Amino acid sequence: MSNTSSTDVTKPVIELRRIYDVFWRYAIYFFGAVSFVILLLIALFILREGYPAFEKIGIWQFISGQRWDVADSAFGILPMIIGSLYVTVGALVLSVPLGIFSAIFLTDVAPKKVRKIIRPAVELLVGIPSVVYGLVGMLMLVPAIQQIGQGSGDSILAASIVLAVMVLPTIVSITEDSILAVPNAYREGALALGSTRWQMIWNVVLPAARSGIIASIALGMGRAIGETMAMIMVIGNSIIIPDSIFSSARTLTGTLALELKYATGIHWNALFATGVVLFIFILILNSFGILLLRGKTK
Amino acid sequence: MEIKILIRDLNFYYGSCQALKSINMDIYGNKITALIGPSGCGKTTLLRLMNRMSDLVDETHIEGRMLIDGQDIFDKSVDVVNLRKKVGMVFQQPNPFPMSIYDNVAYGPRMLGTHNKRVLNGIVEESLRKAALWDEMKDNLHKSGLALSGGQQQRLCIARVLSVDPQIILMDEPCSALDPISTLKIEELMIELKKDYTLIIVTHNMQQAARVSDFAGFMLLGELVEYAETREVFNVPKDKRTEDYITGRFG
Amino acid sequence: MILINQTMKRMAGVIAAAALVFVTIVTGCAPAPASEPTQSIELSGTINEAGSTSVQPLAELMATAFTQKHPKVTINISGGGSSAGVKATAAGTVILGAASRDIKISEADIIPICIARDGVAMVVNQANPLTDITIEQVAKIYAGEITNWKEVGGDDAPITVVSREEGSGTREVFEEYVTGRYNKKIKADALFFDSNGAVRTKVTAEKNSIGYVSFGYIEGLKALTVGGVAPTIENGQNGKYPIVRRLYFLSKSTPTGAVREFIEFCRSPEGQKIAQDEGYIPIVLK
Repeated sequence: MSNTSSTDVTKPVIELRRIYDVFWRYAIYFFGAVSFVILLLIALFILREGYPAFEKIGIWQFISGQRWDVADSAFGILPMIIGSLYVTVGALVLSVPLGIFSAIFLTDVAPKKVRKIIRPAVELLVGIPSVVYGLVGMLMLVPAIQQIGQGSGDSILAASIVLAVMVLPTIVSITEDSILAVPNAYREGALALGSTRWQMIWNVVLPAARSGIIASIALGMGRAIGETMAMIMVIGNSIIIPDSIFSSARTLTGTLALELKYATGIHWNALFATGVVLFIFILILNSFGILLLRGKTK
Repeated sequence: MEIKILIRDLNFYYGSCQALKSINMDIYGNKITALIGPSGCGKTTLLRLMNRMSDLVDETHIEGRMLIDGQDIFDKSVDVVNLRKKVGMVFQQPNPFPMSIYDNVAYGPRMLGTHNKRVLNGIVEESLRKAALWDEMKDNLHKSGLALSGGQQQRLCIARVLSVDPQIILMDEPCSALDPISTLKIEELMIELKKDYTLIIVTHNMQQAARVSDFAGFMLLGELVEYAETREVFNVPKDKRTEDYITGRFG
Repeated sequence: MILINQTMKRMAGVIAAAALVFVTIVTGCAPAPASEPTQSIELSGTINEAGSTSVQPLAELMATAFTQKHPKVTINISGGGSSAGVKATAAGTVILGAASRDIKISEADIIPICIARDGVAMVVNQANPLTDITIEQVAKIYAGEITNWKEVGGDDAPITVVSREEGSGTREVFEEYVTGRYNKKIKADALFFDSNGAVRTKVTAEKNSIGYVSFGYIEGLKALTVGGVAPTIENGQNGKYPIVRRLYFLSKSTPTGAVREFIEFCRSPEGQKIAQDEGYIPIVLK
C-alpha cells in the first residue's frame, strides 16, 4: 500500500469529465422535455381552436352528423370518418400482402443480381413527391377505374391503390430488414428438418420477423392516414358516405387540406375539431398496434 | 456391420477452391463416427454434404459419389426434402425456433402433414423422452424454447430432429457452446441414440471423440488422412500427421 | 337563412363599392404630405402582402415589375386565402392584404382597392360537342337536378360535376353568380378539387365532366359561351359576361408612401397590361 493517493476510491475528485457527465445528463433531459412540450403545445393548440366547434355543434352531433355544408353551418364529419377508414383499410389490404411477399422475394427467392436492381428501385419510390403519385393516379388510374366501374373513377379504390403504392416502400424495406435479421440458424434448422423453402419462410422466418412486420404495417398505416396531397387528387372529395369502392368520398385529412386555407369563424373551429378527431383516431390505431405487438411477442 | 453411407472419390469445390480431396469412406450403421481435425480441414463441409445442406451455398461443384442405403444422394432424382427428413442435423449453436417447446418438436411432423392433436402429443412425448428432456419439461411444454439453458436447448434441437423419425443424425460440434455438465449429458444421449440411429459428429474435442465414437476419421486440408476404429486411431495411428495432431503437437 | 346570406352579400357588395369609390377619391385627389409624386425622391421600405391565393400570382408579377423600378423597395407576397388576408390586414400583421371576394359587412373596417377582375369560365372536355349553356342550366347541373348531357342538348352521357372546395374565392363567385341566383346549392356528391389547375387536369382527363375555372386557366379546355356570351376579356370588361369577380388589395387605412406608390402602379396602364397578359380582366381606366 505504498501508493494510496492514486488508488483511494473514496476521495471526491472534481474532474472536467464529471462535469461533462452531469451537463449531458441534464441536456438530454432538457431535449427530451422539449420534444414532449412541443407535442403538448400542438395538441393544446388544436384543442383550443377546435373546442368552440364542439361547444356550439355538440360532440355527438359533430361526429355523427352526415351533412357538411358550410353556408348552412352544418358540420357533421361522419362521411369523412368513414371515408378515412375505408381508404386506410383499402390501402393496407392491397399493400400489406404485396409488401410482405415482395420482401420475401427479395430476401429468400430472388437471385442477388435481381435483388440489386429491385431493392434500390423500391427505395426510390419513397423519394417521388406525392403530387406525382396524385397526377399519375388522376390521369391514368382514375380513367381506368371509370372504364371498369360505375361513376367518374374518382373513388376509394383509386385512393387506396395510390396510397398502397406510396406505403409499399415502407412496408417492403422494414419487413425486408426484419426478415434479414432472422438468424440464419432458424433457416438452416428448418431446412435440415426437411422443410420446403416455402414452409421454412412461412412457419419459421415470418413468425420470427413478426414484430418488425407489424411495425412496418403500423408505420405504413400512419403514412396512409396522414397522406393528403395525392389522395385529394384521386378520391373526388364528395361529402357523402361511400356505398362502394367505386364511390367518391372525402377523408378527414382531405377536408383539412382542402378547406383550411380559406376558413374563418365556426368553419375554422370545425376544421380544427376535425383535427382533434383525427388526433384521437391515430392515437387509437397506434395503441391498437402497440397492444397487438405486445400480445404477439409475449 | 451394415454400411450406411458409402463415399467414393468425392471432390468438392467452393468456386475454384477445392475443399474436399478424393474422399473414400464407409460409414457404418448404428455406430458413432467422429470427424476430427483442425479448423478449416473440411469436416463440416463433408458433414453438410450428407444431407445436402451444402446446396445453400452458391457456386459449388461436386465430383464423385455418396451413397446412402445404396442410393446416390447427388443424383438428380433425389428430393432434398426427403433426404433431410431421413438425415437430420444438429447444429453447433442450439437453434430452437422462437416458439414453445411443444411447437418446436411438433414443427417437423406438422410440416409433414400431421395435424391430429393426439398423434402430435404422442410424437412430442416420445421425442422428448428420447432426448432425455421429457421429465424436466413435461409440465412446461408451452414455455418458449428460447427460455431454456444452452444444454436443454441443444437437447430440444435433438428432440426436434427425432420427431421426423430420421435414420441418420449429423451433429456439427454439438457441445462446443455448452458447459461440461451439459456436454456430458449430450454425450450420454448420443450413446443412447446409437441403438436406433446412425450418428456422425464433427468435434474439436479429442476426449469427446475418444469417449463416444466407434470410428474416427482424421481430416487435414480437405483430405481424409486416416479413418479407422477410434481405438486404433487414438492408440496406434498409422500416419505421422494423425499422431502429431492427437498428441497435441499440431494446430 | 339563405335569403339573409344573400342580402348580406349584396350589402357587402354595396359597402365594398362605396369604399372603393372612397379610396379612389382619397388616393386620386388628396396628395399625401410625406411623399410628393415625383420620381426624383427615391422610394424605399418593405411591403408585406398576404391573402388570396388567386391574387398571389398577379401580385407577384406586379411586385417584380415595381421593384425593378424602385430597387430599394422590398415586397413580400404570400398566400393564405382571402379571409386570412382580411384577418391579417385588420390585425395589422401585414400592411397590405389581398382578397378575391367582396368585403363582408363584418369586415367593413377594411378598405378594398380593386386591382383587376377575374372571370370564371364554364369549361368542358374538348370532346364535348356542347357549345353554349345558360346560367340556369349550370345551376341545375351543380344542384344535381340535371344529370345527363342530353338534357342540355349534348350527348346521352352522365355529367361528372367538378367543383372547388369550400372557401375558394372562385367557388364563392360561382355560388354568388350561378347557383345562388337560383337559390341552389352545389350537391354533396360533386367532385371537389382545391385549385384551378386541378380542375383543369380533371376536366381534361374526364370527357363527361363540367367545371369552372378562372379565365387564365381555359387553355386546353373547351370554354362554353354562357347565354351566348363568350368568356373573353372584352365581354368581362363591358359587363356582358355574367360571372366576373373583382380582385382587391386591402388596407386598414389610407395607404401612404411606398404602399401607395405600389397600389397606384398596379392600377396604372402599365400594371393593368401585366394583368391582361396573364389572362385577367383589366379594370376600366378613365
